[in-house]
Amino acid sequence: MGACDPNFLSCLLIVALPLLSFAVIMIFTWRRHKLSLAISLTCSTIPLILAWSLFFRLKDAVTMAKPIVTQVNWLVSDAVIVPFGFLLDPVSLLMLAIVATISWLIQIYSIGYMEGDPGFARFFADLSLFGMSMLSLVSASGMLQLFISWELVGLASYLLIGFWYEKFSASEAGKKAFVVTRFGDIGFFMGLVFLTFFLKDLNIFGLGIFDINNAALTHKLTEAQVTLCALLIFCGVSGKSAQFPIHVWLPDAMEGPTPVSALLHSATMVAAGIYLITRLFPLFAASVTAMSVVLVISTITLLLSSTIGMVAKDIKQVWAYSTVSQLGFMAMGLSAAALGGSTLFAGYYHLTTHAAFKALLFLCAGVFIHHFGTNDFFVMSKDGGRKLAIPMITVTIGALALSGIFPFSGFFSKEAILAQLWHLPNKMWVGLALFGAFLTAYYTFRVIFVLLFPRKDDDPVWQEYYVREPGGHGHGAHDDDAPGGHDEHHGVPWVMSFPLIVLAGFTLVLGFLQTPLEKFLLGESHPHDMNYMLLFSAVGCALGGIGVAWLDWGSPKAKWQGFIKKFPALENFFIQKWYMDHFWRWFLNTFIYGTFSRIFTYNDRRVVDGGVDAVAFSTIGSGRLLSFIQTAFVQLNMLFMVLVLAGVGLYLLMGR
Amino acid sequence: MLVFNQLETYLYLALLLFAIGLYGVLARRSLIAILISVELILNAASINFMAFNRFLAPHPAVGQVIALFIMAVAAAEAAIALSIIVAVYRKLKSINIEHATELRG
Amino acid sequence: MNFPGFLSPQGIATIAFFVVVAVTLVGALIAVAARNIFHNVLGLAMSLIGVAGLFLYLNSPFVALMEILIYVGAICIAICFAIMLSEPLYLPRPPRKFTKILGAMAGSGLVFIFLLLLTKKTKWVPAAERSTDWSVTTIGHYLLTNYSLIFEVVSLLLLVAMLGAIVIARGGRGSS
Repeated sequence: MGACDPNFLSCLLIVALPLLSFAVIMIFTWRRHKLSLAISLTCSTIPLILAWSLFFRLKDAVTMAKPIVTQVNWLVSDAVIVPFGFLLDPVSLLMLAIVATISWLIQIYSIGYMEGDPGFARFFADLSLFGMSMLSLVSASGMLQLFISWELVGLASYLLIGFWYEKFSASEAGKKAFVVTRFGDIGFFMGLVFLTFFLKDLNIFGLGIFDINNAALTHKLTEAQVTLCALLIFCGVSGKSAQFPIHVWLPDAMEGPTPVSALLHSATMVAAGIYLITRLFPLFAASVTAMSVVLVISTITLLLSSTIGMVAKDIKQVWAYSTVSQLGFMAMGLSAAALGGSTLFAGYYHLTTHAAFKALLFLCAGVFIHHFGTNDFFVMSKDGGRKLAIPMITVTIGALALSGIFPFSGFFSKEAILAQLWHLPNKMWVGLALFGAFLTAYYTFRVIFVLLFPRKDDDPVWQEYYVREPGGHGHGAHDDDAPGGHDEHHGVPWVMSFPLIVLAGFTLVLGFLQTPLEKFLLGESHPHDMNYMLLFSAVGCALGGIGVAWLDWGSPKAKWQGFIKKFPALENFFIQKWYMDHFWRWFLNTFIYGTFSRIFTYNDRRVVDGGVDAVAFSTIGSGRLLSFIQTAFVQLNMLFMVLVLAGVGLYLLMGR
Repeated sequence: MLVFNQLETYLYLALLLFAIGLYGVLARRSLIAILISVELILNAASINFMAFNRFLAPHPAVGQVIALFIMAVAAAEAAIALSIIVAVYRKLKSINIEHATELRG
Repeated sequence: MNFPGFLSPQGIATIAFFVVVAVTLVGALIAVAARNIFHNVLGLAMSLIGVAGLFLYLNSPFVALMEILIYVGAICIAICFAIMLSEPLYLPRPPRKFTKILGAMAGSGLVFIFLLLLTKKTKWVPAAERSTDWSVTTIGHYLLTNYSLIFEVVSLLLLVAMLGAIVIARGGRGSS
């Protein structure tokens, strides 16, 4: 348990190196791009190696019930002891490895993507900060450390989303992401405070994850207390993991550079929420009410984002909404597992597979965006998107995985979640999930088919779809000459295609690792009772979605109109994103600006300013008053001096 | 015991001189009169030193040396004070301390 | 206190002592109370001569001599010059203010009482071992050995005071 423990040391290195790189780049080398890149890459490669070595070294040694906790007392002040340390159990080990891998791949990818950007070094510094906070989040042993990392992730995402801060929309998006997630974090923090309050014997700083779970398992808390805490913590989860109704920041977060979107939306930031649920799974599982709420909210999220994804024209928006829907799907799986008395495996497994294929999808989108200088996949299609062989193949693999087609990883994990849902007494949930899967397949393959089978250049359809927005995505001149710049065999620099291939490999392989992974996570593997009806309906839904997409967008006779066009009201509803942004704007105007701001402004003007003024006026007034004493008669002053002197002297003499 | 061979005699004397000087400092309006009163106070202190030197001190020369120093300092102080008085007179056309009220609040 | 016979040496010395004390106190009273500023200076001179007499009684003829030399001979003369350089004596003087005098008396009286009590209540203890060397030679020796630093500093102080007096009396910098 000491500081010299090899596990502790490697964890410390994993967390500290990226932080070091952030500090060094920001303070010293931010002018020198090459050097900064070298520092950042070194400081992400070593954690990668360490994380995987930890994984392989400890994978047989730890179980969920018997984790390795190494911590040192970071701050000791009388009764308050703040431990800082690492909790290594299968969940965190796997997550460490995934996060380290994804951030490493994204750094590699960013070498190509951010080439020539004036903020190149700053970008890598921010990536390092993000990596550090995420790695520390997934390995935190105590809730305080987790919360700090949680907030650091928020900070890093703010920096990264608003990376092109000279663009108004980007800085606004960063602000939105920061404020909206903060909204949820208030709930999270209150949940922690209540937990501390209920558990009495623990102070908030020493609140360990293990303690909470033990308390929940041993029924130290009453049902109502668990529900309250779980729901409050879920507020934080829904902020980070973009669950309804505070998911609105995530689509806007696409303003950041594409590697950032990939980083935020695959294994890391948004997964942090799901990770927290798995981390505190016993706590959540102890409350039926809380889990039902989670189930409802995640289902709404799934459907909402899938339907919005159907009408979006920005490729990153589509992936963003698909992320939201998949997160909803994971939360559904976890809550269904908790309600059905099952394990956290399904949701966590989907988190793992999703990390790989969503990062893949985003990075592919990044390649297209980088190449064509636009986010609109219709424009990419016309400009010859399908000629980029490697991204096209890998994006198709990712899309197949996302839709849940055998043999790609998404198939297995979705299947696991659906099986959990199937066990619920109410079959409505599994129906809704299947419908969500159908929609997912539909909107995913809408993108793929449009990219793969563009119309001829003189097709009238282009008048509607070929709208080149001026400015593209913030690359300016760099993008405009990009196609001519590197137009060799595939036109994609190897640093960008290499991560695609690696991630595609993961996507293919992870599906077949279900049994070993389950064994690793749970200690034993449950034999799968293959529910063929469910299996066929799931695959049927996915294939149905793809089929409809083919009819609408793929086949040569397709009208290039979504089936949703037949319901204009509904379509408009989806295009307006279910009016969620309007709702929040209204909410903001009415309650925040209209009510609280006014009250606070009033308070500021009258109470704070008034108070300051009162102090000033009273100072001036008392000065005026006192100045009457200042008669400029030296002898009067001296007389008082002498009198006081004599008085004090006599007083001192009196005692003798 | 002879009256001039007692420490207390000199101390009371110095005390009287000090009180008279203090009264002068507090009551007189002329700057020069105040200066004169200050000289009286200094002399009171000097007498005290000399008296302690005569009756208590281990080395009788030390008190005398200090009295000499007091004299020197008093001379310096008188020179400065007098030049200040001349300057004040030039500025205010008066050496009445009650007229020097430029710092009135 | 016991009074010896008037004509014995101690008696004569005692009478002379009271004369000296009277000179000192009366001079001091004149220096403070007289309305004419010139009388004040003369009172001061008288008082200082009395103090010099006291110094004689305190076994220090040298300091008594210096007292007369510096105070009476230099400072009083300097004050006379200041009087002549400042306000003319024939100007009408404003009447005294009763409250001010009362305040000054109260102030000085209080201090007097305080110091009187202090003097009374303190037990004055002579040093266990006392040297009997009162000679001027020793004073000179001390001035140039143990107290040489102070001696030098005082000479510096006098120089500075002289310069400062000249500068201030000339009307300050820049107004020749």
